Amino acid sequence: MQESTKPESRAPVDPVLRIEGLVKRYGEVEAVRGIDLELERGEVFGFLGPNGAGKSTTIRCMLGLLRPSAGAIRVFGLDAAKDGVTIRQRVAYAPGELRLPEQLSAAEFITSISRLRGGFDEARRDQLAERLRLDLHRPMRELSSGNRRKVAIVLAFLAEAELLVLDEPTSGLDPLMQREFMDLLREARAGGTTVFLSSHVLSEVQRVADHVAVLREGRVVASGTMADFRGRARSHVEVFFETPPPTEALGALPGLVDPQVTDQRFTATLSGPIGPLLSLLAQHKVASMLVEEPDLEEAFLDLYGGETQ
Amino acid sequence: MSSRTVELVVGPLRAMRRAVMWWSIGLGALVALTAAFWPIFKGSTGISSALNNLPAGVLTAFGLEDFGSPAGYLRANLYEILVPILLAAAAATLVSGQTASEEAAGRLEMYLAQPISRRAIYLGRAVAALLGLVVICLALTLVQLVSDWLVDLSIPPGELLSTIALSTCVAILYGSVAFAIACARPRPSLVVAAGIVLAVASYLVVALLSFSPVLDPWSQLSPWSWAFAGDPLEHATDVWRYVAVAVPSIVLVLFGLRAVSERDIAAG
Repeated sequence: MQESTKPESRAPVDPVLRIEGLVKRYGEVEAVRGIDLELERGEVFGFLGPNGAGKSTTIRCMLGLLRPSAGAIRVFGLDAAKDGVTIRQRVAYAPGELRLPEQLSAAEFITSISRLRGGFDEARRDQLAERLRLDLHRPMRELSSGNRRKVAIVLAFLAEAELLVLDEPTSGLDPLMQREFMDLLREARAGGTTVFLSSHVLSEVQRVADHVAVLREGRVVASGTMADFRGRARSHVEVFFETPPPTEALGALPGLVDPQVTDQRFTATLSGPIGPLLSLLAQHKVASMLVEEPDLEEAFLDLYGGETQ
Repeated sequence: MSSRTVELVVGPLRAMRRAVMWWSIGLGALVALTAAFWPIFKGSTGISSALNNLPAGVLTAFGLEDFGSPAGYLRANLYEILVPILLAAAAATLVSGQTASEEAAGRLEMYLAQPISRRAIYLGRAVAALLGLVVICLALTLVQLVSDWLVDLSIPPGELLSTIALSTCVAILYGSVAFAIACARPRPSLVVAAGIVLAVASYLVVALLSFSPVLDPWSQLSPWSWAFAGDPLEHATDVWRYVAVAVPSIVLVLFGLRAVSERDIAAG
């Protein structure tokens, strides 16, 4: 790490988003119960949790649509409660619950919203619509939920904002369009856009996120990098030995759970680093080995004690 | 004026075009139909003398004095109660349709997530509703003038325009009531009901209190009295009547804009 010789000349860089002790109450109900988050510039932040965990409430507080009951939210170093207009100039948002004006066509709606942002590039709009196979001229009332989702995605990427806030963005999209969306997301990130991706679809977060926070009942129950998360997740290990497996030594390894030996085949679940297992296997004749990639779903299920589906 | 500012008004106007069209057709039809019956009542002394047997308070309350004259006929059938109440209902529903209904349905979220203040978005919708109401009133005026000419219902244009303008101002006042409530609590049924019920109540205050000489002075507390007590179909209207109705409208809009910036937006 290189230290600056002139620390006084370097202005401190605010994180894109800093949430401290966020609480949101609706009467007696506490939807968000003290969330702390920080989002750095240029990263994709996965905000995970089942429906009702408080993800959308947190986002709506970030955008100034809700007033926090307690805590502070700073976006680009600005107070979300006071500087909402300035913040939203740099933020594009695709809501999870899509309720769009029925009487307008997709093109009319996109034009209306984009004009409120100060204008838009029609060629870019048409290009995005083409990539997502969205017919811009159909009235919104005739669009399926997937096509309505595409309208929100077009608007989010059309804004070319510094921060994209996407709430359940692939809900209703077919697999092909989900892939197109992921490509758009990667392109945006490559262009320096920061992404706050809220979802209960773990696989999509797993593919693109740098950092993840898992929300449950209004609290962050786990957060860290994707690598941290994968480290907590359990992998399935399957080893075929050329000789009888070293059962005792394998059983003594830390992190190996539920070891099973069938002839020369050894299977187990590994939680934690794989290094000790590899060191042991290096001392024996191994015919083949299969380690299934840790799945965020499993880490998620571990955290939730099997309550999620 | 920036394209952003124009869009704040034009967008809602585009969305309410059908509602404006149907209100215009409905009120235009009412006016044309009423005018079409004028030749039957024109110069009829029988109906006038029959009505004159009613108590004076009833005649005043329902605008039935001088029913056989053009001004009396229009006052009794349209401008004493029906047109102002219907315009107030139009104002309240247009306001609700662009504010409380949209917010309660979650359709405002995408707009409110843009770099525009809530006040600007709500004010844009109030202006759009106002313009929609003006279009309805212009349609009504046009139909009234053409109908009057066709059936020889001779009202001085100045008095007729003043009456419609005052009816529009009263509608704007109750539209402003609806707007203030929509800004404070986005419940569509409450917003529409409050606009219409208060408009009807303000008429009833004038109508019912006029039965009692003791209570009659209190009827001047009603905005209905401020607008119509000078009998605008027959006499030139004082400017203060417009001002008296406009000032509370402005106060209500300002109150609403303050209220909407200090609450949570409904999730839909």
